[in-house]
Parts: sequence; structure tokens; C-alpha cells
Amino acid sequence: MNPRIKDVVKAEEGEIYDVELEADILESNRRIAEENRSLLRTYNVTAVDVMGPTGTGKTTLIEGMIRLLKGRFRIAVLKGDLTTTIDAETIIRHGVEAVPINTGKECHLDANLVRKALQKLRLEDLDLIFIENVGNLICPAEFPLGSEKRVVIVSVTEGPYTIVKHPFIFMDADVIVINKIDLAEVMGVDVDKLRADAEKINPRAKVVPTNCRSGEGVEEVVKALGLM
Amino acid sequence: MHEYSMTTMIVEAVLEEARRHGAEKVLEVELAIGEFTFLNPEQVEFWYKVLSERESLLKGSKLKIEMRKGSVRCLNCGYEGNITLLDDPAYHVIVPTLLCPECGGTVKIVSGRECTIKRIKLLGR
Repeated sequence: MNPRIKDVVKAEEGEIYDVELEADILESNRRIAEENRSLLRTYNVTAVDVMGPTGTGKTTLIEGMIRLLKGRFRIAVLKGDLTTTIDAETIIRHGVEAVPINTGKECHLDANLVRKALQKLRLEDLDLIFIENVGNLICPAEFPLGSEKRVVIVSVTEGPYTIVKHPFIFMDADVIVINKIDLAEVMGVDVDKLRADAEKINPRAKVVPTNCRSGEGVEEVVKALGLM
Repeated sequence: MHEYSMTTMIVEAVLEEARRHGAEKVLEVELAIGEFTFLNPEQVEFWYKVLSERESLLKGSKLKIEMRKGSVRCLNCGYEGNITLLDDPAYHVIVPTLLCPECGGTVKIVSGRECTIKRIKLLGR
């Protein structure tokens, strides 16, 4: 051994010593997300995250986007839920592939689950993947998955303060969708106020009001994502 | 929100390190949590107490948590510093914004998303 390297120092019995770790627990997720990103890039596949609370219209928005884009892209959907494959079954009716990801008890998808889901798809036969996260406006913001673009959707039925109450997830969004605008009046919610909140928190994101059930505004979402 | 699973990962990482060093006991764990994570330090402490009690190596160890401020950088003018908080009287809340306080451009979050095990204190065997 090189004489400049001294003997290894070992702890004696009963001795107290510090170990510098500097290990970021969240870093492992970010690393896998980067791997997912480069894998998708290799196959020239664009992945789009769709995040938002339960019942806000994530699946309905994805269905609307599939309707508009089916002709020009080969599409698949990764569908995160705690349990059930109900939404995945809805999605496949549009003639695209769906991979249900059941998180069990976890409140968000993570990069590792997405990596496993991507292994179930033939990426060479795809152009576009929508990744629908678990219904939640908090946790998904902590776990990047490796996608190219991120959509955060809320709706007027969650009330007038959803955006200011959960600012951080909107900071990561490229497109912010305000859904169910047809119900705004009944709900007594001002869509323009929600839009102003979104623009204030993230001036870079494009804000699009929609009624995903009728299809109103969905084309604008697709355009804002640069897919049309 | 996901403090339980995060703390499980912390406990596993600490156990692995302690075993690697052949330690008799873990005395203390120092953790740093970034401002822009969704981890509530009190809940992390609670779960650490519960989970460490189950492991003889960790039983009785102390968890010290330091909250770290995050920082942003402007994509336009290069400003680096704290995120801008808008005190919105309409909501009685403080809303963070990606607006640059210097030039009105858009900033990017550059730090504050970490949950780092900084240091652990071990008792040698």
C-alpha cells in the first residue's frame, strides 16, 4: 500500500464517532427520473404529466387530448391510482394502451413506479405518453417522474382558493388548466380570479380554462403543450 | 403528506450505514429538510420515534432536524436569493411566486427540495 495512506482508523469499543453522510433521500427519485427522461428521449417519446386533485377531471382531460391527437401520435397512458383499474378501462376505449399503476397506500407516483410501467410498453411504437398522477395537489410535486411537460388541473368545484392554498405544485407546471367552467356560476367561483392566482404564482405557465366534458378548451391545452 | 414513507427510507439508510460501520448503536441522526419540500418536521419526528423503537440499533437515538431555506435563480437577470412572497390581504396568506423581485422575470427553484441525512453519531462496538 502507498505509505502516504495511513492505517485505517477504526472505532474502539464504546467510542462515539460521527459519520458524515450528506445523503439526500429525495435524490434517488430524481436520479431515476433523469434515467426515465433519457430513456424516453432515446425513443423520441414525449411524456406529459397530468396532476390535480381527485375528481377534478384529469382522466376526462386526457380522454379529450387523445381524441384530438390520436390521428397524429401513437399514444399510451400511465394511470396512477391507489387501487382499481376503472380509469385505465375508460382510457383503452379510445384505442390506446394503458398501464394502470396502483400505488397501494402512497399518495403519489414516483420515478421508480414509472420506470417499471415504461418497461411494459414498446417505446419504439409510441410517440406520446400521458402520465396521470394520483389525485392529490401536494405530494406529486415532490417526486419528478422524468416527463417533458407538466399539466396541473384544478376545477371550480374545489372552490375559489385551491390554487393559493397549494402554490408549490403550480410552480412546476407548464400548463395550468381550470376545469368545469360551466359550473362556475352555480359554484359561485370566479374563473378570472383563479386564473390571476395561477399567473401570479407561475408567470411562465399558460393558463387555460376548460370544460373537459364538452371538450371546450382542450384544443388550447394541446396547443399550449406544443403538441398541435 | 408522505412523512411515513420518507422516514422509513431515512431509517433504512441510517441502519445500512450503521451496519456498514459495525456500530453498536446509533446515538443521533442529523437531518436537513429543505423549505420547498412537503415534509412537516414534527411528523418526521413522530414517525422516527415510532420506527426507531422497533430497531435495536436505533432504539433511543435522537433525531435533530434543521430546516434549510431554499433559493431561486432568475432566468433573466441572474438574481439569486430567497423566493418572493406576496402578502395577499385578500386571503390573509402569503403566496410564493416565481416572479423575480429584481427584474420581473421568472425564477427557477435551485435549492430547498432536499431531505438530507447530514451526519449520524455512532457508538463503536
